[in-house]
Amino acid sequence: MRSGTAREPVDPVDVQWSRVSEKLITLRVVGALIGFVIALLVFSVPVVLMLSDVWPGFPAWLAWALPAVVVVVSVWSLLLIPRQVRAIGYAERHEDLLIRQGLFFQRVMVVPYGRMQYVDISVGPIERALGLASLKLHTASPSTNATLVGLPSAEAARLREQLSSLGEAKLAGL
Amino acid sequence: MTAPPPAGNLPADEHFGPDDAETWHRVHPVSPMVKGWIGIIAVILVFGRGIFEDLIAGRGMPQYGPGGDTVPLWIIAGGLILVILLFALGFFLSWYFTRYQVTDQHVRVNSGIVFRQHRQARLDRVQAIDVVQPLLARLFSLAELKFEVADSGSSAVRLSYLRLSTAQQLRATILARASGAEPDPEHPDQVSEAPEQPVLALSGGRIVGATLLSGTTIFVALAVIAVAVVAGAVDEPFALGAVLAGAVPILFAVAAAYWTTFSNSYNFRAATSPDGIRLRYGLLDTRAQTVPPGRVQAVGIVQSPLWRLKGWYKMQVNVAGYGVDTQASGSRTTLLPAGTSSEVMQMLALVLPDPGTEDPFDVFGAALGGRDQHFGFTTTPRRGRILDLLSWRRNGFTATATALICRSGWLWRAAQVVPHERTQSLALHQGPLTRRLRLADVVLHSTPGPVTARVVHADLDVARQLFEEQADRAAQARRVSAPEHWLAPRRDDGESTESRRESGPESSPEAVPETPQAAGPAPEGPNERDKDLPPREDHNGQ
Repeated sequence: MRSGTAREPVDPVDVQWSRVSEKLITLRVVGALIGFVIALLVFSVPVVLMLSDVWPGFPAWLAWALPAVVVVVSVWSLLLIPRQVRAIGYAERHEDLLIRQGLFFQRVMVVPYGRMQYVDISVGPIERALGLASLKLHTASPSTNATLVGLPSAEAARLREQLSSLGEAKLAGL
Repeated sequence: MTAPPPAGNLPADEHFGPDDAETWHRVHPVSPMVKGWIGIIAVILVFGRGIFEDLIAGRGMPQYGPGGDTVPLWIIAGGLILVILLFALGFFLSWYFTRYQVTDQHVRVNSGIVFRQHRQARLDRVQAIDVVQPLLARLFSLAELKFEVADSGSSAVRLSYLRLSTAQQLRATILARASGAEPDPEHPDQVSEAPEQPVLALSGGRIVGATLLSGTTIFVALAVIAVAVVAGAVDEPFALGAVLAGAVPILFAVAAAYWTTFSNSYNFRAATSPDGIRLRYGLLDTRAQTVPPGRVQAVGIVQSPLWRLKGWYKMQVNVAGYGVDTQASGSRTTLLPAGTSSEVMQMLALVLPDPGTEDPFDVFGAALGGRDQHFGFTTTPRRGRILDLLSWRRNGFTATATALICRSGWLWRAAQVVPHERTQSLALHQGPLTRRLRLADVVLHSTPGPVTARVVHADLDVARQLFEEQADRAAQARRVSAPEHWLAPRRDDGESTESRRESGPESSPEAVPETPQAAGPAPEGPNERDKDLPPREDHNGQ
């Protein structure tokens, strides 16, 4: 099995990726578990109705299949989370910032410092408990969807300062 | 300058010196009525219809109450007068509280009666200026001036309505100050419109033909075939009638689509001037757009299947101030509604003055209709044809010294041109299928607009190389990119300048002192990053 830190085909050759915090795995697992419980509750309704004789005519195979599918999909996506998190990476280069993400659908993005309009840092409640922060870069293009999630707070603050000063130094027009 | 009375209306021939902080102008007094005429008509319809119907039906004056008493005439008349007065008061107040000024560096607009809004925009941040004349405004010879900055939302500044001549004069003034051109030393207060040369005009026949052969027609043809098949299969006249009845609203929509396409492209003319590209068009509502040099972020060229019969293309642009343009159904972002390939080349020459290649006609011709690896294009490798059975020989890209050209599509041909210095960011995409085939997509991010440049299904190594090289090229191009003040004397060499106000773009170099912007105190605030943010300051509730 391919490790998330290995060089993927789309990666540029001579780039050393900085990885985001492994705590992001915890964060995402917690989020996925909450979604999993809710989905399981909703999709178990037919089974409960059938067993409690409220709706005895409901086909038994379908009633059992629904929660089973939810369980399979959830377990699969839970198992993927660690690899997905390890697939996120960024690299500060001389002129631009590289960001990569994705396992099945991989993306490597380059955001020139001179094109950055502003930098956002956001912290959610669970993120704060884990000492994490999200950083988002905005250019004049809405399709620049450059978000770095799961950065340690100190690293996020350092990156913001770094990006802001580089952005000012290399500022270009539109 | 001698201060005119505050908030005086501009006579058409007034000298347009920079306004000082205390000088304000008002829009034309008729404006609120031109803006609010739909409201007036709605009120007249709602209140008038009942009375009118009663009169027609011979029931006399409207009645109320169980007793059937007739409403006295004076109440109706009084109510009518009251409504008219209320409208007039609203119009007057909205007019009275709307003021604008154009100073050396800013355009400012104050508006609002209860919630005051003060808005200012930096002149050198201008992305485009439109002078728009809706039908009713045309009757009054009025026009709306729209000043666009880069924030993709609604216009930064809309002055509606001004006298047409005032609007044009104001546009010339704003462009002159934004361009950084030297004012005429003898008449510093007088600004004339930059001289322009017509580039092309589309005939009415072309517009009609383009409308009839548009994608809408393909949709109609498919729908007619579907209905015919259904009619053949179903014998019942009732079911057929139901189908036809269901088609009526669709027919209206189709007619509206045809009409919009036609009226928005009618009388299309393009011209070039030192202030940029001028586009004029419109049947009932007319619009004159000015896009200063270097404001076009990306160009897209598309050809729908039926247009191939005539060899027509449609060109669209991303301009930061225009955004995706949903309100004017895409006409603002249209650079050429329907042009032949030579007309496309002419417009491309305006947008991209330096094509960055020895034989631009061959290269861009290959982008329009070519396939395979001619003229430097790199296409999808043969192993990728399973993903693009028809278009794999066409999907491709090439980079000139100044721009990246992507092309794609077999039935609906498309090509995009993105100047290197306008590339915002880049991304390399690879999904499970393309990973197996060792292919990848490269996406160029541009400001909001109809054009999305994407190199589809290129060989992985080629795509990675393009990704790296394009990032470098964009960085190089940014360093040498043209200044925001497109006519300002270059400060570094100081001698090669163009003074358009006197002798047009090809004037001889002459030594001119520095621009007012450069001579005055540093115009930038301490925070340099403000430069690229939308120069907009809204203060509500003042």
